[in-house]
Amino acid sequence: MIETRPPRTHPPVPPPSRRKRKLTDKIIQVVMIPLDWLEERSGLVGGTKYFLFRKVPRDTNWFHTLGSATLTAFLVQAGTGVILAFYYRPGPGEAYESIRHITDDVTLGWLVRGMHKWGASVFIILLFLHMARVFIFGAYKYPRELNWVVGFLLLVLGMLQGFTGYLLPWDQTAYWATVVGINLNGTGPVMGPFLAQFLRGGDEISGTTITIFYAMHMLLLPGAIAGLILLHLYLVVRLGVSSPPWSDEAAGRSRAPLPPRGEPGLVRPRARGRFAR
Amino acid sequence: MEPRPGDNEPHTPSPSIWPVGFAVGIACILAGLVVSRPAVIVGVLIAVLFGALWARDSMRSASTPPPEEAPPATPAAATADADALELEDGELATFPRNQFLELTTLGLGAVITGVVALPVVGFAVLPAFTGQEHKTVDLGTLDNYPQDEWREVKFRLDPKLGYVTRRTVFVRNNGEGDGGPSFTLISNRCVHLGCPVQASGPREDNQRKIVRQVQGAPLEMTPVLPANFSCPCHGGAYDTEGNRVAGPPVRALDRYKYSIIDGRLHLVEVYSVAEVEGEGKNAKIKAYGPQGPGEHVDGLEGWFYPIQPQDLEQ
Amino acid sequence: MSRAADLRREDYKQYKEDVQREGKPFYPFAMFHDTVMSLVVVIVIAGLACIWYFTAEDVGPGASKPGWLGVLYEDKADPGTTSFTPRPDWYFYFLFYLLRIFKWPDTVVLGTVGIPTVLLIIGLLLPFLDRRPERHPLRRPVAMVTLIVTAISMGVLTWKGATAPEAGAGSLAEVPKWMQEYNLPANAQPGAEIFAVSGCLNCHTYGGSGSPNLGAPDLTQEGTRNRGIQWQIDHLKCPSCVNPGSPMPPFEKLGEDNLRKIAIFLEASKGG
Repeated sequence: MIETRPPRTHPPVPPPSRRKRKLTDKIIQVVMIPLDWLEERSGLVGGTKYFLFRKVPRDTNWFHTLGSATLTAFLVQAGTGVILAFYYRPGPGEAYESIRHITDDVTLGWLVRGMHKWGASVFIILLFLHMARVFIFGAYKYPRELNWVVGFLLLVLGMLQGFTGYLLPWDQTAYWATVVGINLNGTGPVMGPFLAQFLRGGDEISGTTITIFYAMHMLLLPGAIAGLILLHLYLVVRLGVSSPPWSDEAAGRSRAPLPPRGEPGLVRPRARGRFAR
Repeated sequence: MEPRPGDNEPHTPSPSIWPVGFAVGIACILAGLVVSRPAVIVGVLIAVLFGALWARDSMRSASTPPPEEAPPATPAAATADADALELEDGELATFPRNQFLELTTLGLGAVITGVVALPVVGFAVLPAFTGQEHKTVDLGTLDNYPQDEWREVKFRLDPKLGYVTRRTVFVRNNGEGDGGPSFTLISNRCVHLGCPVQASGPREDNQRKIVRQVQGAPLEMTPVLPANFSCPCHGGAYDTEGNRVAGPPVRALDRYKYSIIDGRLHLVEVYSVAEVEGEGKNAKIKAYGPQGPGEHVDGLEGWFYPIQPQDLEQ
Repeated sequence: MSRAADLRREDYKQYKEDVQREGKPFYPFAMFHDTVMSLVVVIVIAGLACIWYFTAEDVGPGASKPGWLGVLYEDKADPGTTSFTPRPDWYFYFLFYLLRIFKWPDTVVLGTVGIPTVLLIIGLLLPFLDRRPERHPLRRPVAMVTLIVTAISMGVLTWKGATAPEAGAGSLAEVPKWMQEYNLPANAQPGAEIFAVSGCLNCHTYGGSGSPNLGAPDLTQEGTRNRGIQWQIDHLKCPSCVNPGSPMPPFEKLGEDNLRKIAIFLEASKGG
């Protein structure tokens, strides 16, 4: 199993000049003092270093950024959501007015509300794109099956976040989309009516419904999502990032010996350069 | 090991409880100064007593040599102990009670989980199913409802809870039936998925009447002439008795029970209908308990929904 | 199948060795890409928020005027409304349109919970359904075909859900527009108004309004079919008598007067 083409190496970094080296050494020395203190007492610095400097396959490309982009969108939602929670008042008499207050009166409230509203759509789009990327790369196969299951659960929870959050402005679209959504759940055999009753908090949609949805949107679902994200990231670090399957330099590519070449001719000229054998 | 006097080691006093007593005495003095005088005297006595004992101990240990240390346990004694527990070489000592402790820990853990989780989960889930009261709604005097005319009535199911309980019902006075005036009260929630159903016909908005309900919430009554009822969501259509005539709805429109007390129409509670034969006061209504939209009440698909939350409510 | 399991473990070991030997450190090489992409995401979100806010116009309580990205506010929730067509958020449009496809009462439960649940289960258990070690997309025809079919159907359903016309509350407000755009004579106006509020637009479309349901034809050019006033009245009284098999409900109860007005309006509708 001999490689016929040596792998590309990154060009060597020239060492800095001696004077610069002394200065950089000094800076590093000073910075390391608190970091060493922290490392000795917790081991966290070592863990972070492992995460940052771990090796990933040399052919990871821009498609691999969709996962962290989804995480960023989630963090935007979490951040703007917390700030909105400072001013939003759940309850049928007050929700609509509090949203007006946020948008009209609170400084930059319109921006936070807008980012939360559009961030939700961006989050869902990125979720689907990331899922499609993983699917195309076949990165749900051994040993990453568990990671796919966790990721799929994240997709479902993300869409539930969208559903529960949609009711909170308490306008016509919010109310009636929720009526239909809850009734959709209610048509499930046997347990459907009970699930619908639980979501509604009673026989009819009332003030209880909006507080149930608020608690789910703010506490239950984000908690579950955060926990699953941590599990998802842990699995990614532990199992490694998969190379694009069509790549020549894919990590884990089979090392079968190359078939013998035939005589070059007019139709298939001798390969040169990178493709030379 | 006690350091001897004159050692270069720092002097560490032997463990003693007298300083604690002294501190308690000082604390009593301070507290007594703030709270009550007698406590000061008690505090002084305690402080003096324990202070003296402490001082005596310190001086005594500073002048007497420390006691001889007991010789370390002999290896023979250690092996004898290990033999008693029947250990192999290199194994950690286990304790015969560990099984009991394991079971007890798990058991107590289960009890704690139960004590915390059951009330919490019960609190989260049960209120949706219990204590659902259905109030009777006063829909005004009978002269608001001329015979053979439809009214689109907007009311509050529970005026105390306000606007969120606003609902619409289509009311028709069918004239005198057996045992009193006969009314048809049809709910405007589509039984496909709950969209608001519209009356298919002209509505006289300029003849809308707004009266005050008994509990103070407004009651709106608007004359309307429906040829049938239709739903904008997916094209469901019902005739004037609520029977489904077109589209995806799975049964007839829900109706309300009503009662007439002192010449006033009262709306009692909602129930589901499979279909209605006949019209007006001669209608034969195949009634069932209230069910959610999209749920069949009869037929093969009726078996999908054998039990309803309302059946559990008392 | 332990031989297959052993092969998988071998491959994974080879992968790990390759990464250690030839890989690049996550920081800064891959993390740089992540950071750039995250910046793009944040800028897009903030940009959308700004465009939405600055192009819409607030005109006091109730619904605001829409900008390039929709309205700032809708009307407050009215649980007793009779003039609103519910719609979910856009990422549920594919489910929403699925419901319009399953319009027979016996199939409702398929569209509401049947199909979505089946798809969820297949999606969740995908790694256990597809156990082949092959990862190259061109050598996984079933997977690629499934992906393309799913993506296209979800895309089409979402787009159709987005563009599905709905009978809105403003049908009555459309009447002057119809009168002008289709050059309707003055005596067609009363019929047009009754037409607009009698639920006709819940199944028929007219002049771009309304929602096509259950195969109901567009009525903008109904007059060109020259069926005559009497036919229109008879049809409205009992559609299935005139058109056997028609799912349209009877409108007899509107009364002869109103039916005549509608018939005049329909016969005058020749498009424009």
